[in-house]
Amino acid sequence: MGMNLSVEIGKIRMKNPVTTGSGTFGSGQELSDFVDLNMVGAITVKGVSLEPWKGNPYPRTVETPAGMLNAIGLQNDGVDNFISQKLPFLRQFDTPVIVNVVGQSVEEYAEVARRLDKAEGVSGIELNVSCPNVKQGCMVFGTSVEGITEVVQAVRQATSLTLITKLSPNVTDITAMARAAVDAGTDALSLINTLLGTAIDPWTQTFRLANITGGLSGPAIKPVALRMVWQVAQAVDVPIIGMGGIVTGTDAVEFLLAGADAVAVGTGTFINPKAAVDVAEGIASYMEKMKIDDVRELVGSVKTL
Amino acid sequence: MRDEISRVVADCEIIEQVEVAPHVFRSVLVEPTIARTSKPGQFVNVRVCECYDPLLRRPFSVHAVDPEKGTFSLLYDVIGRGTKLLMEMHVGEKVSVVGPLGSSFDVGEDPSARHILVAGGCGAAPIHFLSDWICKKHGCDKVTVLVGAKTGTALLCQAEFVAHGVEVKLATEDGSFGFKGFVTELLASHIEESKVKNPDSAIRIYACGPMPMMREVARVCGEQGIKSCQLSLERTMACGIGVCMGCVTKAQDGCCSHHPDEWHYSRVCTDGPVYDAKELIWE
Ligand SMILES: Cc1cc2nc3c(=O)[nH]c(=O)nc-3n(C[C@H](O)[C@H](O)[C@H](O)COP(=O)(O)OP(=O)(O)OC[C@H]3O[C@@H](n4cnc5c(N)ncnc54)[C@H](O)[C@@H]3O)c2cc1C
Ligand SMILES: Cc1cc2nc3c(=O)[nH]c(=O)nc-3n(C[C@H](O)[C@H](O)[C@H](O)COP(=O)(O)O)c2cc1C
Ligand code: FES
Repeated sequence: MGMNLSVEIGKIRMKNPVTTGSGTFGSGQELSDFVDLNMVGAITVKGVSLEPWKGNPYPRTVETPAGMLNAIGLQNDGVDNFISQKLPFLRQFDTPVIVNVVGQSVEEYAEVARRLDKAEGVSGIELNVSCPNVKQGCMVFGTSVEGITEVVQAVRQATSLTLITKLSPNVTDITAMARAAVDAGTDALSLINTLLGTAIDPWTQTFRLANITGGLSGPAIKPVALRMVWQVAQAVDVPIIGMGGIVTGTDAVEFLLAGADAVAVGTGTFINPKAAVDVAEGIASYMEKMKIDDVRELVGSVKTL
Repeated sequence: MRDEISRVVADCEIIEQVEVAPHVFRSVLVEPTIARTSKPGQFVNVRVCECYDPLLRRPFSVHAVDPEKGTFSLLYDVIGRGTKLLMEMHVGEKVSVVGPLGSSFDVGEDPSARHILVAGGCGAAPIHFLSDWICKKHGCDKVTVLVGAKTGTALLCQAEFVAHGVEVKLATEDGSFGFKGFVTELLASHIEESKVKNPDSAIRIYACGPMPMMREVARVCGEQGIKSCQLSLERTMACGIGVCMGCVTKAQDGCCSHHPDEWHYSRVCTDGPVYDAKELIWE
């Protein structure tokens, strides 16, 4: 009997448990020279807003020990351009597309969701209520129970697509945010988004990012991400997409053991453009070695010492 | 100028490591696809160690290619940890490379055009490849390379340019070699000279070097009414493949619009690194 790698996130059926971290895979096309897009479980694309956003001034990224900070500011061409310019390319693959959504008001989030709901070829919406690099908007929603409740309820009414709420790690108790999103009707959760940080150049005595602060990602954040996935998995019953510093198959397995049903590869794609597919293959070879037939057996099965 | 060609991720063997000037190294690597398909101005993104610190790849221009042997070379200044790690690798070791990436210089089809290439510091890396390319396409007698550096020992590739058979002019800021001053001053006088000597030929300018130099090249070209001025920019890059939106520079929307609001942040790794000077907005 063959091995089962497929998982379900709401109504989305993924052929393997690996998707891409929003903002690290463009709209998929950029990576198609390097990876067969049919080989990833789902494609999660860069955040889209109602109108085009210009993004933040340069410099927008800095390398840090085992990680990086980014303050892109959600540069994107807006949802209508996404639907007309980017989506047609993605439709040719047998891979579900999850669209990350950002907004500056509840109405904007809902309107973007409504337009995506009508577009052919979108399987899910990932609500980005947690971006740290935009002054107005998302972060405000993502760090309070009231904010999350309001935005998730509004988007829930605007779409019947699978709704995934992406949680911010920049809160005292992430389980409170998770419960609020579930109570407001989200189908699934994804976590974590980046951790707020900064970097300073001692020689020029200036900040290294034009935006001053940015979001930390990469292997450096994996322990924090794993802890939060584990806590949220204990607190709620909806599927979880875990992410934060995943580079290898065994990194991904650790997230599954902590309670994630699927994982996303973000910064890992920057060091290895094939990372998402390599991680999926890495999970399969781990299962073979460990004689596990169904990836779902791994989910949440971490044991205490 | 974006080239739609297939890009590769490959572990490339290093077959040569040479210090060509103080702190400046040339590495020759084996990768037939990159050697065959790279165009001048394009770059590769190199993973300088199998480690998480430093985490990100380092971008380097393609400096030379040998399609027959399937090799290509990099020319780089050792300025930090990543370049030090690359310099310390031994012949026979392998390094992961993604490429070729980005846009390339457009050398045009006009057989009578004069080509003036301006290299500042390690900007000589892609200018060397470009000089070779134009020589093969239009003839070396159409090419002048202006090489600038702070001091004589930092002038790069002049022997190679001389070997190509192109006209070479040198400038050093301290006057230890060639013209004393900025290479851009040399550019202004060379353009004037070229206009007098070849009044019927179009002039094409290509430049790679530090940002202040590029800005000055753009200004000189504007002042001299040069229609084709192409600049290769450098930006800190996280992905190098157009997905992170980190490596941006301000560019005009569409072609040559001059409305102050009609601009966007353009990705240097994918829409560049080579831009027509008219597209760029300087701050
Ligand atoms: C498209 C492109 C092509 C390039 N081609 C070449 C080339 O052919 N030869 C070459 O020598 N270099 C080239 N560079 C620059 C090269 O990528 C950097 O020098 C290299 O990444 C530095 O890595 P490092 O780890 O040694 O330095 P780091 O430890 O990362 O940095 C050391 C110091 O240098 C500064 N620094 C880092 N990168 C840059 C940069 N791009 N510009 C200015 N200052 C910087 C840092 O802020 C820091 O102060 C290119 C860059 C780009 C974007
Ligand atoms: C350059 C960059 C851009 C990002 N853009 C977005 C975005 O548009 N929307 C979003 O929800 N998350 C965004 N993220 C966060 C990632 O999707 C991911 O949650 C985070 O980076 C942690 O995973 P990683 O360590 O694997 O990168 C971005 C991350 C990076 C590094
Ligand atoms: S470096 Fe990521 S988009 Fe250019």
